[in-house]
Amino acid sequence: MIRSDLAAKLAGRTTFGADLDRPGMLWAALVLSPVAHGRIRRVDLSKVRKAPGVVVAITAPDVEKLLPKGSGDPERPVFPTREVLYRHQPIAAIAARTLSEARAAALLAEVDIDPLPIVDDIETVFPEWPEPSKKPNSAVVAHVHARHGDLEAAFREAEFVHSETYRTAGVHQVALETHACLAEVEGAIWRVTTSTQSPFSVREDLSSQLGLPESAVVVEGSWVGGGFGGKTSALLEPFALLLAAAAGAPVRLALSYREEFLLGRTTLPCVVRIESSVAKGRVTGRRVRMLLDCGSTMPSRDFATGYAITFLLGPYNVDTFEVEGYGLRTNKPPFGPHRAPLIPQLTFVIDSHMDSIARRLSVDPIAFRRAHVWHEGDSTALGQRIGPSGIDSALERAEKTVLRWRGNAPREHGFGIGVGYWSTGVSAGGEARLRLTPQELVIEQGEREIGSGSVVRGLVAVAERSLGLPASAIRVAYSDTASAPFDSGVFGSRTVGALGQAVQKASEELVRELEARTGTKGSLRLEFDGRSIRAVASGLRRPIAELLTPEELNEGGLKAHGKFYGPPMKFDESRVVAGSFYPVADVVGAVHLAEVSVDRETGAVKVHRYAAFHDVGVALDMAMVRAQVEGGVVMGLGTALTEESLWSSEGSLRNPGLLDYRLPRLNDVPPIEVYPVEGFPGAGPFGAKGVGEPPIIPVPAAVANAVADATGARVFELPLSPERVARALKLL
Amino acid sequence: MPFSLSTPKDPAEAFRLLVAGRPGETALLAGGTALLRDLDEGQNHATHLISLRKLPWNRHAWKGEALEIGSTEPLRTLENDPLVRARLPGLHQAIEAVGSVALRHRATLGGNLGRASPASDLIPVLLALEALVNLRSPRGQRVVDIEQFIISSRQTAREPDELIESVSIPRALPSAYVWQRVRPSNDISQVGVAVALGPPPGRWRVALGGVSPRPVRLPEAEEALVSRRPSEAEVELAAQAAARHAPFVTDRRATEGYRRRLVTTLVRRAVRSTAEHRARRAGPKGGR
Ligand SMILES: Cc1cc2nc3c(=O)[nH]c(=O)nc-3n(C[C@H](O)[C@H](O)[C@H](O)COP(=O)(O)OP(=O)(O)OC[C@H]3O[C@@H](n4cnc5c(N)ncnc54)[C@H](O)[C@@H]3O)c2cc1C
Repeated sequence: MIRSDLAAKLAGRTTFGADLDRPGMLWAALVLSPVAHGRIRRVDLSKVRKAPGVVVAITAPDVEKLLPKGSGDPERPVFPTREVLYRHQPIAAIAARTLSEARAAALLAEVDIDPLPIVDDIETVFPEWPEPSKKPNSAVVAHVHARHGDLEAAFREAEFVHSETYRTAGVHQVALETHACLAEVEGAIWRVTTSTQSPFSVREDLSSQLGLPESAVVVEGSWVGGGFGGKTSALLEPFALLLAAAAGAPVRLALSYREEFLLGRTTLPCVVRIESSVAKGRVTGRRVRMLLDCGSTMPSRDFATGYAITFLLGPYNVDTFEVEGYGLRTNKPPFGPHRAPLIPQLTFVIDSHMDSIARRLSVDPIAFRRAHVWHEGDSTALGQRIGPSGIDSALERAEKTVLRWRGNAPREHGFGIGVGYWSTGVSAGGEARLRLTPQELVIEQGEREIGSGSVVRGLVAVAERSLGLPASAIRVAYSDTASAPFDSGVFGSRTVGALGQAVQKASEELVRELEARTGTKGSLRLEFDGRSIRAVASGLRRPIAELLTPEELNEGGLKAHGKFYGPPMKFDESRVVAGSFYPVADVVGAVHLAEVSVDRETGAVKVHRYAAFHDVGVALDMAMVRAQVEGGVVMGLGTALTEESLWSSEGSLRNPGLLDYRLPRLNDVPPIEVYPVEGFPGAGPFGAKGVGEPPIIPVPAAVANAVADATGARVFELPLSPERVARALKLL
Repeated sequence: MPFSLSTPKDPAEAFRLLVAGRPGETALLAGGTALLRDLDEGQNHATHLISLRKLPWNRHAWKGEALEIGSTEPLRTLENDPLVRARLPGLHQAIEAVGSVALRHRATLGGNLGRASPASDLIPVLLALEALVNLRSPRGQRVVDIEQFIISSRQTAREPDELIESVSIPRALPSAYVWQRVRPSNDISQVGVAVALGPPPGRWRVALGGVSPRPVRLPEAEEALVSRRPSEAEVELAAQAAARHAPFVTDRRATEGYRRRLVTTLVRRAVRSTAEHRARRAGPKGGR
C-alpha cells in the first residue's frame, strides 16, 4: 500500500508549518534572554519599534492590554515579568513586514537583567544524593516514592547486592521541520494554524494560558515535518496570537534551526542509583533512586518522574522493591517529551544492570532475563495485571539469532540484548466520524499526519479491516478544532490503538445501520470496484447509492460517530508512599540485538548488525511497522552513541546545530532486521499494539550490553562516545 | 544575516572588489561551507561577499611529481584523481576525511586554509608534505610556507588585498592521515595525525590537528623516528613524544586527556601505514 500523502510530499507540494502564508501576513521574531537566570530590571523596545519594517513589538506589560480578560494564567506568563529562568527564554516578540526586518529589530531590544546564580547540575543541588532528601530543598519540584515487600530483609539475606550508578544525557527531538505557526485574530476568535502533534492540546494550553474560553480558540494542524514528542503542546502559538492581536494582521512565527535547539523542550539529564539483591540466581529485591533534571519547569509537574520511574524495574518480576525519584528545577528550558520520554535512557539503566548481574553470576544474559521477564498474568510493580505479552517469545527468537550471528562473526565482535517495554497510550481518548458515500468512505478526525503514517495509513488500515474496503476507497479528512471530533493527540503510540478504536466503533455502527437497512445480519462487508461501493452479504449485493436516503446523498453520505475513551485503570495505591504515579495502559515489549566491534585503543564503537523483535500484537500493515522500527532504531542509535546536549556553566546550549549535535548518518547505520512477534494481542483494534515509540526504547541498552560483551567493560553513561568507552576500557 | 553577493569573472575584477571593500564588511566566498556557518553564528559580520566561483583556479595540475592545487577546486575533484591516491596517500585520506561527499563537492582547499581551523583535516597533511601557499594580489605574487601561513584559528598570513591562488606540494611522498571522531562520518576530528616520509635520506615528518591554537609539526616525535623502516621501539617513542608535547586542550569535542591518549594510537597507525606504503612502492626487495 502506498501512503496517500507521499505523492504531494515527494513533489514538494505539502504545506508544512513554515510554508503557511496569508495575504498581508507579518513575520515574527523573538527577543531571547541573554542570561540563564536573572532579575529583569528593564525591557525597552523603543528602538525596536522604530526599526525599519516593524509593525508591533510586545513584552510582558503589553500582554494584559491584548487579552480580553486581562492577564492569562499567572503561573504561566507568556513573557517573564520579574525573573528569567533559562537562557534564550523569550522575553519579547516582534512582528515586521519581512523576516529579516523582524530578526534585525530583535537585536535592538535593550534588555537589562541582573544575573542570579544558576543551577545546572542536578547532583550538586542535591547534596544528599544518592540518599533521600533530609532537608527541604527548593530545587525539588517533584518527589515520588513507592515500595512493596520487605526490602531490608531481601538485602540482608542476599548472596550479594549489586549496586551501580548510571548517568544519561539530554537529547533533542531534531524534527527536520522547526516549530512554526500562523496566527489570526478576528473578532473574538483566536485562530492558529500550527505544526503540532495535538491540535486539541494546543487549544487547551492556549485557553488556559491566555484565559480565553475554548470556544474562542480554534487550532488547525498543518502538515507536520516530524514531531517525535516535541510538538505535543503549545510553544510559539501564544506569541504569534498576541502579535496578531496587536497588529490586526496575520502573523507567522517559525523558529530557525538554531532557535529550535535553544527553545525546544527536550529530555534532560538523569542520574540513577540502582541496587539489586541476588540469591539463588534470582533478583530478590531492587532499590532505585533517580534524580531528573526537569529544567525550569513549573512546580508539581511530576509526570516525568512519576511515570518514568517504575520503568527502572524493567519488564521483570520483582515483587520487593523501592523506587524514589526527585525532579529538580534547573536553569534550562523546561523538560519536554521525546519519543518515549526518558524510557530509552531508563531502559539503558535497568537492562545494563540486568546484564551486569548475569555476567557477575556467569549465567547467560538472555536466560537470566527470561527467568525474570513478565508473562501474561504477572503484575507490574504497582500491581497491574499484564495482558498477553510477547516479550519472552521475542527473547527466545533473539537467543536463536545470537547463536546464528556468533557463528559467522569475527571473534572480537560483541553481542548485546536490550529488553524494553512501553505502554500504548490507549487511556487517552478520541473520536472519529465516518461518512459513507456511494463512491468513498471519509474518515473525519482531529489530527494531522506527523510523518509516521499513523493517521494517513494507520486509521485507513483499521477502516479497511473493519469494513472490507480497499484503501483506495478511503480518504482521511482534516479540519480544525472547531469542526473536527475531539482527539487527544498523536503521541504515546496511541493513534492506531485509541483513535483507531473510534474508527473501528464508527465502522461497526455503519455496518449495523446497513444491516438494518438491508435486513441482513452479521456478515455485511463493503466492496469497491474502483468507482463505486457496494454492500455485500449472503444473498445481497447492493450499491450504496441505493441504500442511502436522498438527504444522506445530498449531505455527504451516511454518517457514524465512534468514540473511544479507554476504560479507567487502577493500580495498587497502597504501594505509593508519595507523589503521583500513573497506570500503564497496554504493555508492549521489544527485544533488540546489536552486534558491535570496539576499537580497543580509541574506544570507538561500530555497530555491524542489528535485529529488532517487536511484540506488535497484530501488524495491521507490515511495511509501516518495519518503517517505524527502522526509524526508531536509527534514532535510538543516536541516543546510544552520539547525541548529547551540552550546556556551558553559564547555562547555554553549546551545540545548537547539526554539526555538533550528532545525529546518526546513513553511512553509520548498520543493516537492520525487523521481526514482528504476533500472537499476543493488545488492546488496540484487532489486537494491534502501538509501534511508534517502542523501537527506540531498547537501543541504548542493546548497544551498551554488546560493548560489555565485546570488551568486558561496562559503560555507565550515555551516550557511549569513544571517550566514555575509552574510560571504561581504562585507557585514560 | 542578509548580505550582498558579487561574482567577479576574473582575478582583476576580484581584486578591484576586494580592494574597494572595507575590511570586516567584505568576505571571500569559496564553497561557503565554513563561511556561511560563521556568518550564521556571528563569528563573521561581513555584509558583502565576493564569490570566487568563476576564477580560473578551480583545477589541479601535475608538474612531474609536484602537484599544484587550485584554491577554488572542489575537494571532490581532487579526490577523484587516481594519481592523488597513488602518489599522496596521506592527502587523499585527509580529503576523504572532510565532511561528506556532498560537502566535498562544494568545499575547497582555499577555504580550508582561509578558515585555518585548529581541527582542519587538511592542514596537518599539508604541514607534513611541506606545502607552499601561492598568494596573489594586485601587487604581484608571493609564496609562503604553509608553516608560516597558518597563524591561529581564522587567522592567516594573508594580507587584506591577497587571494590564495593555489597550493603547491613539491613532491610525491609516502604519507598517511588518520583521525578520530565521535561520529565517523561528517563530524569534526578530535585529533588528526599526518605523517610523511621525506625524500632521501628520509626524515620523518609528523603533524597534528585537533590542537590549539593551530595544527602543528611535532619535532619531538619526528626526532624519535630515526630509520626509514622504524622499529616498534622508535614508533613507541614517537607516540609517547607526541602525547607529551602536543598542545592539546579540552573543548566540547574531547578532553585534553583523551586527546593525549588518542594521539599515541594515531601516531602508531599513521607511521605504520606510511612505512607500508613505502615498502609497497619500493617493490618486493624494499628500500634501504
Ligand atoms: C558539516 C560540515 C562538516 C565539515 N567537516 C570538516 C572536516 O571533516 N574537516 C575539515 O577540515 N573541515 C570540515 N568542515 C569545514 C569546511 O567545510 C572546510 O574547512 C572547507 O574546506 C572550507 O572550504 P569552503 O570552500 O567551503 O570555504 P568557505 O566557507 O567558502 O571559506 C572559508 C574561509 O576561507 C576564506 N577563503 C576561501 N577561499 C579563499 C581564497 N581563495 N583566498 C583567500 N581566502 C579564501 C573565506 O573568506 C572564509 O573566511 C566542515 C564543515 C561543515 C559545515
